[in-house]
Amino acid sequence: MAFSYDPYDDRTQMARTIDRYPLSFKRTPLAPLVPRPLTLSERTGPGASELLATGPTDLSRISADGPRATGQLLQISGRVTDEDGSPLAGAVIEIWQANSAGKYIHDADHHNAPVDPNFTGEGRLTTDAEGQFQFFSIKPGAYPVLESGWWWRPPHIHFSILGWSWMDRFVTQIFFPGEPLNETDLLLNAVPDREVRERLIFQFEGTSMGEINAMGFRRDFVLRGRRQTPTLD
Amino acid sequence: MIVSPYCTIGPFFPASFVDGHDDLTHYRGGTARGQHILLSGRILQEGSVPTCNTILEIWQADAAGIFRHQGDPRCAQADPGFAGWGRVRTDAEGWYRIRTVIPGSYETENNIQRCPHANLMILAIGLTRRLVTTVFFAGDPDSVRDPVLDCVADAAARKRLFALRESAEQYRFDLILRGESETPFFLD
Repeated sequence: MAFSYDPYDDRTQMARTIDRYPLSFKRTPLAPLVPRPLTLSERTGPGASELLATGPTDLSRISADGPRATGQLLQISGRVTDEDGSPLAGAVIEIWQANSAGKYIHDADHHNAPVDPNFTGEGRLTTDAEGQFQFFSIKPGAYPVLESGWWWRPPHIHFSILGWSWMDRFVTQIFFPGEPLNETDLLLNAVPDREVRERLIFQFEGTSMGEINAMGFRRDFVLRGRRQTPTLD
Repeated sequence: MIVSPYCTIGPFFPASFVDGHDDLTHYRGGTARGQHILLSGRILQEGSVPTCNTILEIWQADAAGIFRHQGDPRCAQADPGFAGWGRVRTDAEGWYRIRTVIPGSYETENNIQRCPHANLMILAIGLTRRLVTTVFFAGDPDSVRDPVLDCVADAAARKRLFALRESAEQYRFDLILRGESETPFFLD
């Protein structure tokens, strides 16, 4: 079954240039983006689940019987669909995040917060037949954007999704509800519409108690693309 | 339903998600058919300043112009030794390097020829959304016809979508994100 794609609607997306975010003015093209027809080349894409190995869905520990990372245990779930609400089965989801102290394991992270030996902050999983996913992690900490002189990023988890094609390839950050730093975050507030902005914030799903004591959060993703009725030719 | 908003990839995309995806010419124990090349270049921001830690992804047809994807009617004949997709990160001088093959041309559904090209996508800090463009490998920029290339009206801008052939095995393609000689990017 073929998919069709419309360009992203700017009203539901972040501004490309953001005041007080100087790099956005150094990297965003000046010329208008060029409209083009979509051919097979753009409407196909990598079979990501064959190319990218998926791993354990518990990011809160490095091995199944190892100690847990420091921080609040989270159970995160959601569903990936297209614009018609049809599930995207077998989509690959890449996740990365800071540890509970706001530190990433990355050579570009110069924040003087401690690394947690029990936490890598990265994982990769696939959606099931209903487009659903679930993983455990710990609550990421906030951290300063050192070169800005003022900006602290609120706690957030990064998501990269490889869906059906080159056109629905998707990357975003998801924030936590009620965080005071959400109010001043340059990126979150670059989504013009408050209701749309909610789509970048987890929904609190309650707590579980027993063998697993975790806080539940949910975030569904809608990737660009509509299923088309198959044609007879 | 409303499409989820994009956000920048930021500076901390894990190295383990990138490592090992710079060579499309070897896949699952096989070796790709066709002319193997090193496609390399620099990704520059305003003022021709190199960008470091920029993520570049590539998606292209194999040497016979076939995409290994259910959407391609010729999918079953796709080259089993060719990955089709890759991902790299720029170094401190803004360089990226990808090993791939010269993609084949193919006919679209409307019998229009797409000439050899690869789809490129840029993700980086400072970009709230991805940037997408297409690199072309063959022919004279002034005379080649391609339905995507033909959307770029300005002759000088068209030329900036062609990789420079340095040798049979080596092609150079710089991406200039912003500035007078910036690379054309497509509406996404």
